[in-house]
Amino acid sequence: MSGAAHHAVQAQGVWKIFNEGQAGEVTALQDVTLSVEDGEFVSLIGPSGCGKSTLLRVIADLTSATRGQMTVAGVTPHEARQKQLYGMAFQQAALFEWRTVRRNVELPLELMGWAKDRRRTRAMELLEMVQLADFADHRPWQLSGGMQQRVAIARSLAVDPPLLLMDEPFGALDEMTRERMQNELLRIRRETGKSIIFVTHSIPEAVYLSDRVVVMSPRPGRITEIVPIPLGDSRDEATRESEDFFHGVTAVREALRGHVGGAEARARVGEV
Amino acid sequence: MSGTQTSPPGDTAARVPSSASGRRPSGMGRRLRNGAVTVLWALAGIGIAILMWELVKWLGSVISLPINTSDATMPHVWSMVAVMGEPEVRGSETTVLQAVMLATLRSLILAAGGFIIGAGVGLLLAVIMQRFLFMERGLLPFVIASQTVPLIALAPLIVGIGNRISIGPIEWNTTYSVMFIAAYLAFFPVSVGALRGLQAPSPTAIELMRSYGASPGQTTRKLRFPASVPYLVPALKVSAAAAVVGTVVAEISTGVRGGIGRLLIEYARQITSQPSKVYVAVLGALVMGLIVAALVAALDMYLTRNLPKETNA
Repeated sequence: MSGAAHHAVQAQGVWKIFNEGQAGEVTALQDVTLSVEDGEFVSLIGPSGCGKSTLLRVIADLTSATRGQMTVAGVTPHEARQKQLYGMAFQQAALFEWRTVRRNVELPLELMGWAKDRRRTRAMELLEMVQLADFADHRPWQLSGGMQQRVAIARSLAVDPPLLLMDEPFGALDEMTRERMQNELLRIRRETGKSIIFVTHSIPEAVYLSDRVVVMSPRPGRITEIVPIPLGDSRDEATRESEDFFHGVTAVREALRGHVGGAEARARVGEV
Repeated sequence: MSGTQTSPPGDTAARVPSSASGRRPSGMGRRLRNGAVTVLWALAGIGIAILMWELVKWLGSVISLPINTSDATMPHVWSMVAVMGEPEVRGSETTVLQAVMLATLRSLILAAGGFIIGAGVGLLLAVIMQRFLFMERGLLPFVIASQTVPLIALAPLIVGIGNRISIGPIEWNTTYSVMFIAAYLAFFPVSVGALRGLQAPSPTAIELMRSYGASPGQTTRKLRFPASVPYLVPALKVSAAAAVVGTVVAEISTGVRGGIGRLLIEYARQITSQPSKVYVAVLGALVMGLIVAALVAALDMYLTRNLPKETNA
């Protein structure tokens, strides 16, 4: 990656204003400054309308910032998109039902002009990683919701981008599947060392997965706090029941409420 | 269970044994079997139609019916079969059946040509309208208006204009006019259906393609076009039927000889002397429609081979 700074994403004073200067002007992002380091897992959390998805979309160059500076993997978001420097996963798996599971994973490689054999090998490698190699020739509609989402994650990793952008990828899954998927994602992260920006509504999910949780608030959408989660790199089911985890959850919850005790709760995180 | 066509809800698919993974869902075989059943039903339908025809004739001879069931207007099925073997006109070499078959084949070729051209133009228009919003706004009203012009008014116009066209060595032929009219009727369902289909992908799928930096052309080829298939297939069916009807009507209204449309008119004039003859021509037109329907059904099977059955239109 670019040596400019070892940052997966750097946002400096980013604003996003819809219908600027017109009736119905909405400030979706107000003066957002955030940097995500290489290999870091950062969650964006906040109530509806806080701009977390908008921020992700600005990073992904699916919409452009009204003002401010943004670099993604050391280049402009537009360049990052054109070069597939990030992979993206959405709440809907958005698999193409006319393609097999394997050919869904191959899609981004096809667009990059990879040769057929190479595409196939790479796709099988990724399906191996998400433990769906046996389902390579199945159609997406033959898979459960969780399995479809794993295929979508494999697809987002296809070109081996340094950065993953995930917009509530587990939002439509049931609680048990969701926790399994979280473990899976942490394992993939350990294996690949990707930087991940993860949008979620769920406090426990954000705490369990992240190195830092970015708490946002609406009207206008802005970052109110950034809560570090010092749970270390080897998180497992036991982590979910640990004292540190509860402290993290409390800290994020209080930050979301804009609670004055937020700082206090944060201070307790990692003490035990 | 991996071979079933039903879309598994939730976690049922998670229990699919991995040992069965090598097996591809065999949709094609099942569809062929279904196809055979369909053919049997169609044959049974023809049998029932013949029975009904004769039943009505018999009823007419017993009681008074509001329709004329005499042999002069409703000949027996066997006399229709008999007339097939007779010479077309006194002393001619060809039989009625041969004449009808040849005319049907000629019309079929024109209808197929009109269908292919019409579907191609319809698809092209749909792609253009999808790609450029101003084109959709500007073009769609004309596409719809084009179908409200009565064919009877249009046919002489097309022949009149067509006859003055010559591109290099190719002289305009009146059969081209027939094909043009068939295409004119056939393009409409495809353009409207394909436009719906090209606009069908979810916003997420479109954003996914954007996130890959895919060009509009790539998005059309890899996403929009395959996603349009469930909308395209019924449109093609309507379009094929329109091409057949268009061909027959165009042959009649332009006076082009050699096709089944013209033959229908000629034989209808002979109804007093040979009432069975016109029914053979009607049968020819019917068979043409069936052949086209079968071809489109085959196309349907091919295009939707990868899709879950539920979304098949």
